[in-house]
Amino acid sequence: MSVSQKHPYHLVDPSPWPLLGSLGALASTIGGVMYMHSFAEGGTLLSLGLGMILYTMFVWWRDVIRESTYEGHHTFVVQLGLRYGMILFIVSEVMSFLAFFWAFFHSSLAPTVEIGAIWPPKGIDVLNPWGIPFLNTLILLSSGAAVTWAHHAILAGSKKQAVYALVATRRPSDYRGNFLITSFFTGFQGMEYVEAPFTISDGIYGSTFFLATGFHGFHVIIGTIFLIICAIRQYLGHFTQTHHFGFEAAAWYRHFVDVVWLFLFVSIYWWGGN
Amino acid sequence: MWRGTAAARLLLRACASSPVLQQHTQQLLPPLQSACRPAILLPVTRWIQTKAALRSHGGGQLDEFGIATGAEREELEAKREGKKRFDLDPPRGPFGTHDAPAIVESHYDVRIVGCSGGVGEDEHDVTWFHLEKGKPYECPVCSQVFQLKVTGVGGQPGHDEHH
Repeated sequence: MSVSQKHPYHLVDPSPWPLLGSLGALASTIGGVMYMHSFAEGGTLLSLGLGMILYTMFVWWRDVIRESTYEGHHTFVVQLGLRYGMILFIVSEVMSFLAFFWAFFHSSLAPTVEIGAIWPPKGIDVLNPWGIPFLNTLILLSSGAAVTWAHHAILAGSKKQAVYALVATRRPSDYRGNFLITSFFTGFQGMEYVEAPFTISDGIYGSTFFLATGFHGFHVIIGTIFLIICAIRQYLGHFTQTHHFGFEAAAWYRHFVDVVWLFLFVSIYWWGGN
Repeated sequence: MWRGTAAARLLLRACASSPVLQQHTQQLLPPLQSACRPAILLPVTRWIQTKAALRSHGGGQLDEFGIATGAEREELEAKREGKKRFDLDPPRGPFGTHDAPAIVESHYDVRIVGCSGGVGEDEHDVTWFHLEKGKPYECPVCSQVFQLKVTGVGGQPGHDEHH
């Protein structure tokens, strides 16, 4: 089958998904405000909007997989563009976390008289950083190692063995391993949230703690879902030894989440807890 | 619903144009072409079909490029032969004169060309112009002569592609 295009770029076919996504964003924002101000059906509209956004993600990225793996539109320069795009997206997320860290350091470096001029504020029972938080650090680091392990397996082309291994044994050391491990992180963090002696409304400490760790936890879940999709695609044989950018993007995202956690652990849990 | 039909059309077009799925739809799940299924089932059906396709391949029957197809495969195959399927580099060659003009290949009868002069000190800011078939053009800055060589369908640009 010969391709008639003379250029290596991918001119995408018209698609309804951007419109659907923006309608979903509109519904989410209006519904969210309605819900927070106790207007009738606000929660319904918010749920509808979030559902539309999730559906948009599903169909849009499904189309990307079709265009790349099944139709072969992703030439080298297209892949290069996607690499730049993913890197820039991760940089934008780093900026977002920078804002939360700024907020934390603003309040913790010069604690006001209202909280006792100390950090952690008077009356706050901080979590022991060397308990669950340290365990979570080890979990994320080993998950990062597992992702690198999976990458080398893809590069080495041992996918057929891995397919049989996945079907037969479900060992944690195969491609599913790393998202099982990160699920443990989410589970432990959830337990910490429930058991913590302070809440998000407990002054500036609670606000900065739960905002920063909460957004981080949300990003861990996103990374886990991304890796599950990659595991499914690997099982279906989408990735080749030389072309598996979807997996690399998931691995980059995983490592970024890990680095953010390390900063969180050192600044908020360890330094902020003394 | 619109979502359903758009998804079905995209899936059908993807099935029709993908060589991997085409040969397997015929062998394994012909009803997929009928698009009678509700949209929400289409991705699941495609997934099951792909799994079956990979299993029936039995491993070892794919060539060195695996499941690569379309433009990506053409790029890989050309690279294996040492050629470039999509050459984005600016063309280089001896300085064009009236006796031996610089030849610029073109798919159509006219192409936008930029001349940056000779090497070293003879280089100048890129001067852009339209180069037409049968009309050799002289760069107004350095007098380099260009000639168009139509290697494609010819005609005016933009009328023979489906985009």
